[in-house]
Amino acid sequence: MRALLAQLRREIFALAVTPSMYGLLAVWYLLNGLLFFYLLEYSPQVRADLTLLPQYLFGSGLLIWLLLPAFPPLLTLRLLAEERRIGTLEPLLSAPIRDAAVVLAKYIAACVFFLVFWGGVLGLFVGLSWAGGTLDWARVLTGFAGAWLTSLLFLSTGLWASSWSSNLVLAAGGGAALNYLLLFVPALLTPAPGRLGEWAAATNIPTLLDRGFSAGLVDTWALAWFLGLSALFLWLTWIRLVSRRWVP
Amino acid sequence: MIRALHLGKHYGKIIAVHDLSFEVRPGEILGFLGPNGAGKSTTLRILSGFHPPTSGQASIAGLDLLQDSLAARRHLGYLPEQFAAPPEMRTGEYLRYRACLKGLPRRQARQRVAEVAEPLGLMDRLRQPFSALSQGFRQRVGLADALLADPPALLLDEPFRGLDPIQRREFRQRLRDLADEGRAILFSSHVLPEVEAVADRVLVLHRGQTLAEGSCAELLARAQAQTPFRLRWLGDSNLKADLAVAFPQLQVEQADDQSLTFRWHGPKTPADFFSWLALRPEEIMEYRRLDPDLEDLFQTLVEEAEA
Repeated sequence: MRALLAQLRREIFALAVTPSMYGLLAVWYLLNGLLFFYLLEYSPQVRADLTLLPQYLFGSGLLIWLLLPAFPPLLTLRLLAEERRIGTLEPLLSAPIRDAAVVLAKYIAACVFFLVFWGGVLGLFVGLSWAGGTLDWARVLTGFAGAWLTSLLFLSTGLWASSWSSNLVLAAGGGAALNYLLLFVPALLTPAPGRLGEWAAATNIPTLLDRGFSAGLVDTWALAWFLGLSALFLWLTWIRLVSRRWVP
Repeated sequence: MIRALHLGKHYGKIIAVHDLSFEVRPGEILGFLGPNGAGKSTTLRILSGFHPPTSGQASIAGLDLLQDSLAARRHLGYLPEQFAAPPEMRTGEYLRYRACLKGLPRRQARQRVAEVAEPLGLMDRLRQPFSALSQGFRQRVGLADALLADPPALLLDEPFRGLDPIQRREFRQRLRDLADEGRAILFSSHVLPEVEAVADRVLVLHRGQTLAEGSCAELLARAQAQTPFRLRWLGDSNLKADLAVAFPQLQVEQADDQSLTFRWHGPKTPADFFSWLALRPEEIMEYRRLDPDLEDLFQTLVEEAEA
């Protein structure tokens, strides 16, 4: 436990002092700010009813389809690929810490740091409320939770992609590609007849967000899907690390 | 303390280490000697728990590295060949983090970092980022890292790499002190004089196999038979040409106008060589067997193995 906490502190510190993270954060805030004001300014539905804003921002909009799959891998690329590249992975994995603790510490640190990303978006709602906007806070908070859960999933895929290579472009590109696949494959297969279509509809991330979290509901199936899939990718990352100890 | 038994490591068809057995006892320094690709780093990585062996067993302080890897790693300090620390961290922060990673409470970690940094001359560098340190100080940070948990066994992969002569001497002394404190130290190097200067025993590796093992004195005695002779004289003459005719078993290695380095086929100087020399007009200034070093031994052993 002490080793896990030490590793977690080190990961959070490393993310907090990496200048590129602040660049990433700035781009994220800028794009989300633009999107937020675009919806406020140009969406007739949102202009008519501000309580619909979370649904448009955290549901199947530009944020989920375009921005969210790309940003978490840019954050996770440094967690394992960068360690491998600069040669710090060997001292880490030969220290008395379990591989699972290494994976968990890195993942938790990324999740905590990504809260800062979402915190800024939440801040926009707080600002709007202070400016006199009438908001449905249940929708805002569940929408936020849905987007956060989606981030957890995308961070786990990013971490897994980061475990495969010391090439940062491959690590980030691989993670982003996987995230877009997780978004687009179910969406494209949803119209398919039979079980395939049903399965695709049940795992279609934007739909899960639209009909659940961003509508002010906590969808337990979606919760299980996001957390289960995140756990699967964490397990795959652990397998990737521990496999070096397998005797051929 | 550090034990390898019939250790093997294969990467597909490539054999990195084959049937390697040795032991390093407490208070002993074992030097791993071998060219690049001999299997030194692979063996150290196996012993650090980073990679498993394909066959055989390895243990640290009696704890099997496969069965009880975590406990074994708690008894081990490891300096990898290319030691690196996160560039964004200050040296002191890094060492405190590593101390906590190795199980020390945070308050104790600060004190322990000072204890290991002081004798390594790192106290003034603790506030500097790792990326700002010279290679020599980076190596010291690596050694400090390896010592943080006060392990009874140390694995050091090319610890003299990038050190200047003064740093090397200090590092050698530090290794000796650590061994005198009862630690078992296994280090690899292809800086041959360093191995000779610091190791109690030497294990010569080639293509993943043991070529020779023993104390430096034993191995140097073995090298004695292989070392060349040197003849130096004064006066212009055709001694070189005459010598080659008179003693065809002589194998010249190096020659200039008034000196010759050569080997005899066979361990001894032929009896009639001195009487032949006495009749020469040149003034003989020197005839001696050159001091053998591990390099001679290594070269001989490798040539034998390749033959």
